[in-house]
Amino acid sequence: MNVFLKWKIVRIILTSLYLMVGWILFTGSLALFSLFLGGMFSFLVALLTYSIFIEEKEAARRSLLPHIYLIVIYIFVLLFKIYLASFKMVFSVMKGNINPRIVHFRTRLKSDVARVILANSISLTPGTITLDLDEDHLIVHWLNAKTTHSHFASSLIKGHFEMWLRKIWI
Amino acid sequence: MMWIVQFFMGLGIFFGIFGNIGLLRFPDIYTRLQASSKCSTTSLFSIFIACMLLEGFTPMTGRILLIALFFLVTGPVTSHIIGRHAWERGVIPWKRKKVKD
Amino acid sequence: MDIRVLTLDIVIFILMGISVLSMVRVVIGPTSEDRMIGLNLVLAQISAILVLIAVKYNRSIYLDVALVYAILGFIGILAIARHAASREDKE
Repeated sequence: MNVFLKWKIVRIILTSLYLMVGWILFTGSLALFSLFLGGMFSFLVALLTYSIFIEEKEAARRSLLPHIYLIVIYIFVLLFKIYLASFKMVFSVMKGNINPRIVHFRTRLKSDVARVILANSISLTPGTITLDLDEDHLIVHWLNAKTTHSHFASSLIKGHFEMWLRKIWI
Repeated sequence: MMWIVQFFMGLGIFFGIFGNIGLLRFPDIYTRLQASSKCSTTSLFSIFIACMLLEGFTPMTGRILLIALFFLVTGPVTSHIIGRHAWERGVIPWKRKKVKD
Repeated sequence: MDIRVLTLDIVIFILMGISVLSMVRVVIGPTSEDRMIGLNLVLAQISAILVLIAVKYNRSIYLDVALVYAILGFIGILAIARHAASREDKE
């Protein structure tokens, strides 16, 4: 059996598994007919979309099956940081002293999913929004800029997120 | 129990009002995007947490948790879409003018 | 009157007032991005109102409405941004 054919079958099965989990969460019932219908339609959708969901060159095992328990801890840390960031935002709305700048820097993460999650968590935390993500180059708009030096800015903005994401996805 | 629910509801309304004030008060697109996206996400999360505490353990709680996770994913993506559209159109960000000492 | 229904009613009415406030930015916004930001805020507050109504009447069908409304709003903003970008390319 050809290697590429095997990899294609694995991609189709993984995509339909993800879709099946989504179906069970949405319907919330474990009746036999519902499970059968969900399985059939998730297999049909997976046949059409597997090449977009998992790319052909994406071969790292960790990017498909990450550490689940670390993701749960990460979501709670993220929620705490979102509340902190919103209180800072309320203070800067009240006072009105802002100093916005554009900062460019690079990230060291390899996996695409990890990069997207890093960009989303940067968008959610204190006064920063990701404007553009091109391979490993990020353009970030910063509301209360303390420095424009790329190295210090990246260590201030990324904080602990990159370390956590490297543990989860490499 | 009711006190915790009312506290979270009040937190949600507080963040919603300040997000709107920031949206009306800030000078350009990027800063308005900052205020609106962050405060709307936090106010939605506060209201959803309050609803989950009010409901207890029912199937509705799982459904509300699903909606909350959906907003956690799509909130930053939407702000990224709007910001990227403005950035590629060439909107120049607002800068504070230097005060001469 | 039950205190639970009273709390939910007050929160629903305040959220309706807030979404009227954010429609101001949609009406007066100088550029198209400002209008998109305002629409995004209105979307978030209306789905919060739908979730609160579902908890008030104890009907889970409103939660499905909220979820579908959120998904369609996200796709709508994506489509508006795509359309505006493609129209600027032609000019």
